[in-house]
Amino acid sequence: MKPKSDLPQGTLDLLILKVVALGPIHGYAVAQRLEQVSRGVVQVPQGSLYPALHRLENRGLLAADWKVTETGREAKFYRVTRKGQAQLEVETAGWQRLTQAVSLILKMSEGGAT
Amino acid sequence: MTWWGRLFHRRLHEEQLEKELRHHLDLHTSDLISQGYSPEEAQRQARLALGGPEQVKERCRDARGTRWLEELLQDLRFGVRMLLKSPGFTLVVVATLALGIGANTAIFGLVDALLLRPLPVVKAPGELVLLMRGNGQGTTLSYPDFTVLRERNEVLSDLALYTQAPISFGNNVHSEIVLGAMVSANYFDVLGIQPSFGRTFLPEEDRTPGAHPVVVLNHSFWQSRFNSDRTLVGQTIVLNSRRFTVVGIAPPGFDGESAPMKVSLWIPVMMMSAMRWEPTELGTQHDPLSNRQYENFGAIGRLKQGVSLTQAQVALETINRQLEQSDHSPPERRLNPNNDRSLQLISPQGILIGPIREMAVTSSRLAGATVVTVLLIACANVANLLMARGTRRRKEVAVRLAMGATRWRLIRQLLTESVLLALVGATAGVFLSYWINQLLMAFKPPFPPPFTFTLDLSFDIRTFAFTFLLAIVTAVIFGLVPALQTSKPDVLPALKDESNAEGQRVRWLNLRNALVVTQVALSLALLISTGLFLRTLRYARQIDLGFKPDHVLGVSFNLRLQGYNESKGREFYRQIVERLERTPGVQTATVTNLLPLGFMWLSAPVVPEEREVQANERIFAGDVCVGSKYFETIGTPLLRGRDFSAQDTINSPQVAIVSEKLARSLWPEIKEPGEALGKRLRVGRANPIVCEVIGVAKDSRNNIFNRIDREPEPTIYRPFAQNYSALASLLVRTDGDPRDLISDVRREVAALDENLPPQDLQPLSETVSLASWSARTGAVVLGVFGLLGLVLAAIGIYGVMSYSVSRRTREIGLRMALGAETRDVIKLIIKQGMGLTLIGAMLGVMLAVAVTRLLTSLLYGVTATDPVTFAAVVLFVISVAVLACYLPARRATRVDPMTALRCE
Repeated sequence: MKPKSDLPQGTLDLLILKVVALGPIHGYAVAQRLEQVSRGVVQVPQGSLYPALHRLENRGLLAADWKVTETGREAKFYRVTRKGQAQLEVETAGWQRLTQAVSLILKMSEGGAT
Repeated sequence: MTWWGRLFHRRLHEEQLEKELRHHLDLHTSDLISQGYSPEEAQRQARLALGGPEQVKERCRDARGTRWLEELLQDLRFGVRMLLKSPGFTLVVVATLALGIGANTAIFGLVDALLLRPLPVVKAPGELVLLMRGNGQGTTLSYPDFTVLRERNEVLSDLALYTQAPISFGNNVHSEIVLGAMVSANYFDVLGIQPSFGRTFLPEEDRTPGAHPVVVLNHSFWQSRFNSDRTLVGQTIVLNSRRFTVVGIAPPGFDGESAPMKVSLWIPVMMMSAMRWEPTELGTQHDPLSNRQYENFGAIGRLKQGVSLTQAQVALETINRQLEQSDHSPPERRLNPNNDRSLQLISPQGILIGPIREMAVTSSRLAGATVVTVLLIACANVANLLMARGTRRRKEVAVRLAMGATRWRLIRQLLTESVLLALVGATAGVFLSYWINQLLMAFKPPFPPPFTFTLDLSFDIRTFAFTFLLAIVTAVIFGLVPALQTSKPDVLPALKDESNAEGQRVRWLNLRNALVVTQVALSLALLISTGLFLRTLRYARQIDLGFKPDHVLGVSFNLRLQGYNESKGREFYRQIVERLERTPGVQTATVTNLLPLGFMWLSAPVVPEEREVQANERIFAGDVCVGSKYFETIGTPLLRGRDFSAQDTINSPQVAIVSEKLARSLWPEIKEPGEALGKRLRVGRANPIVCEVIGVAKDSRNNIFNRIDREPEPTIYRPFAQNYSALASLLVRTDGDPRDLISDVRREVAALDENLPPQDLQPLSETVSLASWSARTGAVVLGVFGLLGLVLAAIGIYGVMSYSVSRRTREIGLRMALGAETRDVIKLIIKQGMGLTLIGAMLGVMLAVAVTRLLTSLLYGVTATDPVTFAAVVLFVISVAVLACYLPARRATRVDPMTALRCE
């Protein structure tokens, strides 16, 4: 098993928003999707997932409806609100700026002082 | 879902949370099974991945953001249950807090009404300012000053003028003196007051003197005197025997700007001369509206938008200084020789009449300090009870700590209970404060009519807000320390049921003892203050006033308002005195221009005729003009010489009787008052009159501004016959109760003039009682609260001693088993209690020494550190404490040694 990285602080909310933005989805599926998409690199502690979902719901970035799944069970499906969508865009842009900056700095140090 | 919705759908939420997590586990489990795990292993793995379900749920609840409120509700529910479980404890605490908080609510209501409440009814009261010369001594501007200030200033949107005067209101059926106000026509506009109906004054009513006899009536006056007759507007009523047209009715609740005095009607100031209401001293030829020396007006203005009080103060003071520089009249020519001539701006809040406001400020401070002290004593008591209860709850607390409750959470729980107690106590206190206020209003100053003293003590939102905040603060004061102590995490001994764990090491100076010491100290200080007031009262009763107010009835008239000229007035006073002297039961009757300790006082400079005296060295003496038999009637002994008689007329040589003090001040060389007889003096300001001294009277404390506690003022008495005053009073001495004469006086007055309203018709003793009002009220208020504090402190000592006895049951049993006598045990317990009491008493005496100095201005005949009072109160408090210790001590001796030894 490859060693898994912990999520940087504050990025869990962003990832959840992104996953939910793809379409209504319940909690377990969010966990699975995160794991699949990150190809197992990112460790999402399931225990942190639900508090994060509830926090986002509480902040009005997510909304939830109870729907019946294919298997005939009731499940809580989350979707992104308009406010959540806006927040996602802001945070995505911010994240990209940050990673670009970080990778630039990293490249610079690889190439030595140029 | 809204925030509230989430809160109230808590159960639904919990179910959904449960369902969501279950769904997750189920899906994960089945996924794992399909990956080849056994069902049991799959379930285990799924649980492991998710983490402890309770922890996850807890974190989800946290994430929801309503957690603190949920917990609060939980705490409240739990608190209510706990309080209901021990009703005795709850009742005692609630009653204690109700007394403490109720007293504070009552006093706040009073202070609010007296000092803080903005003018009712008016528009934006925060923008209004009152202009006063000097330190707020009421109406102190002249009309010419007012017009200058009004025209030249750039900080006020407008300035209005007012002054008050008794006005005779009547028809042939009924007549009375009411308090009227004369105002500039813009008065109601400046205040932003719309009439109930009709109109207020018009600009043209502010221009020509005497041209517009119109009047606006007070709403409640109109209701009571005219049965709310709407057709009254446009009709005329008679004021000072002149017809005035009613043009409007003021809105309900508006009683003028000078609370607590109630103005019954308003007329334009231009009618002032026509009202025949002008100052005695200036004579009739002077128009008060053009005389700069007649400084008897007040002004109220409205600040322009964005102008602060300080800015306005500076701007107006500049104009005032210019006015002062252009005025060269000597200060003593002014009606109010006020030394401080600077202009002050104050916001109209509560009582505005200078001396009364000062009195109110002093008594508010005193009452405030008193009730806060009572509340602190109550808090100490409740804290003690809570701590005792806390030790009984140690086990419960320990269990909760062991189960993982944080200490902060426990403190919150305990504080919630305290707040709950305080709120219930405050609710009871609000009801209690109603009764306290009723009691307090019985002690309002007995001003004679028409000066109705009205105070609106109804509760408003401010009072409720105050009480609520006070309850919360109180809860923290009495609840925090017990909560901290109770929630101390010493789980193990508590769980092991070592109920005596603490008892083994009874620290002598623990918190509980400190509370008792505080209580004793505070109540001692309160009671010493009470004692000082009681001594003052006793002194007031014993003081030699220099006259004997008992059995004397007083009544005043203002004949000028009635349109009497001098000869008609003289005739009236001559006839009424004659008629009253013939009335059965009357010993003597006389006339005087000033009632002793009444509301008015006149003084005049007096100099010996033979000597030239510098203006600033002249002696000012009370200037009382009286009829014959005055000294007999009022009971001031004539030491030497003769009384005024029928021979002293307007045509005979001017004569005077001087008080002993005046005689000695004028002629320091005389050894015996009789030597003053035959000497001559000059009296008066502008045109002094030369009089011959024909008698010397004993000194009398008859000037109210002098207060009965200070030395008598020098006084000159002159014959009424030689110095007529339209404004005068009759004094009637009777054998029996002066009240019995009231109807006789009314009848005799009506026989002479049925439209003439008698004023201040009351026994002289009531007029005098106004002078000792502050001491009396202080004694009653402090006495009630002081005793209340002592009772609470006694309960506190009793509680602590009982508690300590119950903790020492074993020890006491052991001592008795080993042969200790009942006496020894009682001594032991009392010694412990006395130790606390004595420390408390010592601190209390120190506190009292510091505090009673502040009372000095209200006390007389007794110093603020009167040793008798101090000693008596300390003894009293110690006796109460001994009693509070004795009861538990006696109980301790009844302990059966065997039971005590087994009691673990």
